[in-house]
Amino acid sequence: MSLAVDIIKRGGKRQTERFMREKLHASIVAACLSVRAPEGQAEATAHMVCDAVIAWLQQRPEVTSHDIRMVAIRRLKSYHPEAAYLYEQHLITI
Amino acid sequence: MDIPSSLAIIALAALIHTSFQLSVSVLMLLGGYTIGAKQSQARLLRLTTSFVIGAGIMTLLLLSFVSLVFLDAFGYDTPQILWAICCGLSVGVAVSIWLFYYRHEKGTTLWIPRGIASYLTERTKSTKLSAEAFGLGLSSVIGEILFIIAPLTMSALVLIQLPLFWQLVGIGIYTVISLLSLIIVWVLIGSGHTLGRIQKWRETNKYFLQFAAGAGLIALAFFVYVSEILGSAAGVI
Repeated sequence: MSLAVDIIKRGGKRQTERFMREKLHASIVAACLSVRAPEGQAEATAHMVCDAVIAWLQQRPEVTSHDIRMVAIRRLKSYHPEAAYLYEQHLITI
Repeated sequence: MDIPSSLAIIALAALIHTSFQLSVSVLMLLGGYTIGAKQSQARLLRLTTSFVIGAGIMTLLLLSFVSLVFLDAFGYDTPQILWAICCGLSVGVAVSIWLFYYRHEKGTTLWIPRGIASYLTERTKSTKLSAEAFGLGLSSVIGEILFIIAPLTMSALVLIQLPLFWQLVGIGIYTVISLLSLIIVWVLIGSGHTLGRIQKWRETNKYFLQFAAGAGLIALAFFVYVSEILGSAAGVI
């Protein structure tokens, strides 16, 4: 499912793209699985985080990918702090 | 320099090498992507093992290559100026490590060219086969060549003065010790520890590792300078 919100990519160097729930969902599931959360729990957590991000996006026609990450991390922290930490660290590991 | 002292220098240089974090970061990412992609534990172990072997082979090849170049150029009688250059290089690299090794931001972002970091991240993401993980291990060692060059050259200079058998032992010691941090992370990932806890430890202790690597290099340079330059000068007098 894509929402009519344009995502400005990191650094503004790449083209903007439509928000894709599946993409965010997959990344949250991967973060949860990486901290050895059971698959069902990972799916449920990703579902709730995606819902929260979409609710936040409703009034915003254009956001950066960094904004989405921050909102997702904030929501994920309340469900699975360790997964949120790893999700946050993903781009700052190397 | 006698054989135990030479091997001790090689071991210390390898310990400094193992405190560098690029390969560990790539191994963490590789583990994260593999687990996140719902791959089996067996595949996770296969990929991470191939990665560690790749890093080990590249370390072994680099050390052998630098030793061979020195041996070819200077024979068994290393000129003192070369020892002095190596000591200076080590002190320079140590100061650079203290100043620049980690970027001043959250996480464990390293001061390596961003192009190399993005390349390694992208390659890690698309690694599916053991051969690719092996290649990634090779590349991750090359990616940190700016920092490992100091302990590597110092070890190479010490190695070429040893008898053939002890040269092989020295290369083995260097390779195994330089892989210690990777082996520890490999065991932790393989035994089911979560990546979050490992990364948290790395982030919490990053400045200690940075300090230890720099201090170790300065200690190494000081010891070699005293034993090879001042020691032989005292012998002449």
